[in-house]
Amino acid sequence: MDIFLQQLANGLTIGSIFALVALGYTMVYGVMKLINFAHGDMVAASAFVGLTIYTQVMGQATSLVAVIAIFFLSAAVMACVGIILERLAYRPLREAPRLSAVVSALGASLMIQNGIMLIWGPQMRIFPELIPQVYWDINGVVISLIQVLILVLSLGLMIALYLFVEKTRMGAAIRASAIDQDAARLMGINVNRIIAIIFIIGSSLGAVGGLFIGLYYRGITFNMGWQYGLYAFIAAILGGIGNIPGAMLGGMMLGLFQAFIAGYISSTWADAFTFILLILILIVRPTGLLGERVAGKV
Amino acid sequence: MKRTFRNILLTLFTIVLMAGLSWADTLKVGVQAPITGSYANEGQGIENGVRLMAAQINAKGGVMGRQIEVIVCDDQGTAMAAAICAKDLVNKGVAMVIGSYTSTAAEAAQKTYFNAGVLQTSDGTADSLTEHGYWTFLRNSFPNSAEAVFAANYMVNVKSYKRIAVISDFSSYAAGLAEATVAEIKKAGGNVVTYAKIKADSQNFTPVLTNIKSKNPDVIFFAGYYSDGGQLRAQQKALGIKADFIGGDANDNADFAKLAGSSAKGALIINVPSPDALPYEIAKTFIADYQRTYGMMPPSIWGLMNIDGMRAIIHAMEHNQSFDTKKAADYLHNMDKPLEGITGSISFAADGNRIGGAYVVKEIQADNSYKVIYAQ
Repeated sequence: MDIFLQQLANGLTIGSIFALVALGYTMVYGVMKLINFAHGDMVAASAFVGLTIYTQVMGQATSLVAVIAIFFLSAAVMACVGIILERLAYRPLREAPRLSAVVSALGASLMIQNGIMLIWGPQMRIFPELIPQVYWDINGVVISLIQVLILVLSLGLMIALYLFVEKTRMGAAIRASAIDQDAARLMGINVNRIIAIIFIIGSSLGAVGGLFIGLYYRGITFNMGWQYGLYAFIAAILGGIGNIPGAMLGGMMLGLFQAFIAGYISSTWADAFTFILLILILIVRPTGLLGERVAGKV
Repeated sequence: MKRTFRNILLTLFTIVLMAGLSWADTLKVGVQAPITGSYANEGQGIENGVRLMAAQINAKGGVMGRQIEVIVCDDQGTAMAAAICAKDLVNKGVAMVIGSYTSTAAEAAQKTYFNAGVLQTSDGTADSLTEHGYWTFLRNSFPNSAEAVFAANYMVNVKSYKRIAVISDFSSYAAGLAEATVAEIKKAGGNVVTYAKIKADSQNFTPVLTNIKSKNPDVIFFAGYYSDGGQLRAQQKALGIKADFIGGDANDNADFAKLAGSSAKGALIINVPSPDALPYEIAKTFIADYQRTYGMMPPSIWGLMNIDGMRAIIHAMEHNQSFDTKKAADYLHNMDKPLEGITGSISFAADGNRIGGAYVVKEIQADNSYKVIYAQ
């Protein structure tokens, strides 16, 4: 039972990081029907931006205020990068065939990845221990402060996002743009602005995810975005791509699934089982767990 | 008119310059190392070291009058890129290749160098590297089998651990070291409670560690690389696993302690002595030069081992007064007197293994420095 609960805690931590990153994929897909392959690399970039802010701007001050400032500044920087990315790589191709936009996304992914390598170098960079290593042993289940922080902050952000999309006027505009861009435009919604907002939110959430990776695992490499991007992408598909609660559910599920497979079967097989799960879900429910069947536009 | 004349002159000048470069014979030295990727730190250490050594030799007039030209290829520590590097370096006409850092990458390139008669010297410790019978391969480190005997003896007889957990990744080096160590532990009468494997670079090792925790070991022996080892150590502490942590030789890199952060203290690492602990005069001079040139210490002992391999090959060529690689290899396999090296005396057995090797156990201190707590 101890082991089960411990694996549950492990899985929820990594799952909430997957979920945060998956939200970026799913929101962009929801509105633009585009898979933003550069998102994973944006996540990696945010970890490097955060590290630079800590060493250069903050002067390596380790305080709660500094940590919060790093989160806000990194999110702001990545939001700007997200807007620029959309303007340069996606907006010119909005009317082009779907494939062109996908290729553009792949190109953007490579460009960001190599950009990180050029700016910060190819070697692994190491995050300082910003969150003190405090852990609690509850009947044999050990939970660390950083795990609690990741879980609480991620859940908070996800609930806030859900409320924003479901309850506000802006959220309604986002949902309307997701359903039918032309109709939304006729209703007086500035779709370009909505898309910019989507990129701001998606990139900021990805930035928080990237910082969590840096703070939790400490070692960051320029090419790590691919791995996290892939898992988050799978999480988004599991939950039903384009569906916001789906991405949250998918991320958590994937984290738990990987923890239990690695814990009870073998970490060797964790990836294989992850993809088997993906295939099974796509066979049984092609639209993902929470995805709705939407008639394709002609 | 004047401009045309100048252009013609410039073109002529360029042609003469290019021709001049190809006329002047150089000794081409290839470096195959992970310049990017998880082990970039080590790869750059090898490249920096080789470049510095080449510059020092060139300043003294080169090798038998030929200047050394260093050609670097990035193998990313992977077999796939290594195979491409090998072909590329051979095509560029190198006489010897220094590297790679990982056994996996060194092994993937071996056959190409053997077929081309290009000498290769690597710090890869996987035993399989010298089991193919390639005369071109010279190991400048000491094989896993030797380290396994030392590690097993230390854990079973010196520390008397009752429950030993072993972790490795899937690379040639790590799996080889772990399997050899498990076998040696059993031979020494020790008890291996679990042998788990992790995927290198996957960062999330808590599921595996949680399983290990349930086996209640009193020591975790990790055969794998520092980029994973530091994170394993941190996650071990975060899960409240009280066991000691012993890392195999590839954990011997300054980044291990940085990654583990405050958890690094008390972790043990088994390897040959660190660069700063090398007692030899030649080592002190070279490391001082390295620090002056690059503004930092070599990342680990591995870069220096590779440079010793390079020095041995050049020494052989100078001894033979010939650039013939086969003759150099024959000389190195039957040296009557070992060469004085940066990492100790260097000579090779007939199968290309480096002779000798004394391991130590280093304990990481609170300030991330090493303290040798046990020596062979």
